[in-house]
Amino acid sequence: MMEEKKAKKVFVKGPISPLFVGESIAKHSTKQDIGAHSIFLGQVRNDIIDGNAVVAIDYSAYNEMAEEKFHEIREDAFQKYSLTCMHIYHSLGRVEAGEISLFVFTSSIHRKDAMEACTYIVERIKEQAPVWGREVFDDGRHVWKQNNFNETQ
Amino acid sequence: MAIKLLTFGQITEIIGQSESAVNALDSDALKAQLIRQFPGLKDLHFAIAVNKKLISKNTDLKDGDTVALLPPFSGG
Repeated sequence: MMEEKKAKKVFVKGPISPLFVGESIAKHSTKQDIGAHSIFLGQVRNDIIDGNAVVAIDYSAYNEMAEEKFHEIREDAFQKYSLTCMHIYHSLGRVEAGEISLFVFTSSIHRKDAMEACTYIVERIKEQAPVWGREVFDDGRHVWKQNNFNETQ
Repeated sequence: MAIKLLTFGQITEIIGQSESAVNALDSDALKAQLIRQFPGLKDLHFAIAVNKKLISKNTDLKDGDTVALLPPFSGG
């Protein structure tokens, strides 16, 4: 783990803009051995909890541990699937309902690797990345979101 | 012996700060000590990481270690 190459930056402040997603796709036009892209976009949902609508999620993380985990997930995905490239972006801070908070982008020669790797990466992030979402209601109160997977002890 | 304690999410709300210095010989002792001090932690489910690695059993702590209390993850 000590000599691994420098981890790529995953966290971005605030929402991920659709323009950034579009530009990321455009950048791959020069890589002409790619035959398939798979993209996952996580969007903040306006869940109703006890009659109150979620207006935003405020994300925080254990940054150092999360960056290591993202790096590990990236390395595992490259091992497991034949990928040409891979990009992972996750928001930190406030993201309004309807905005994008997670962008996973995998590319491969044939579609199967890109599609399966994309799902694999998203599931690993949800389950293992030390990131927390504080769901904020319109009256300013909040609850802490919980994913369906938890590291427990 | 000084251990750096990091907390996140609702655990920080209960403890009142995200970073503090504590003393404990092992992770079980630290957990028991924190629950005594902050009874609100008792009913919370959380994982513990020592130096950024999740632990699944009681772990000895030494000077300079960083212990993080991690409530259920909710990224993505």
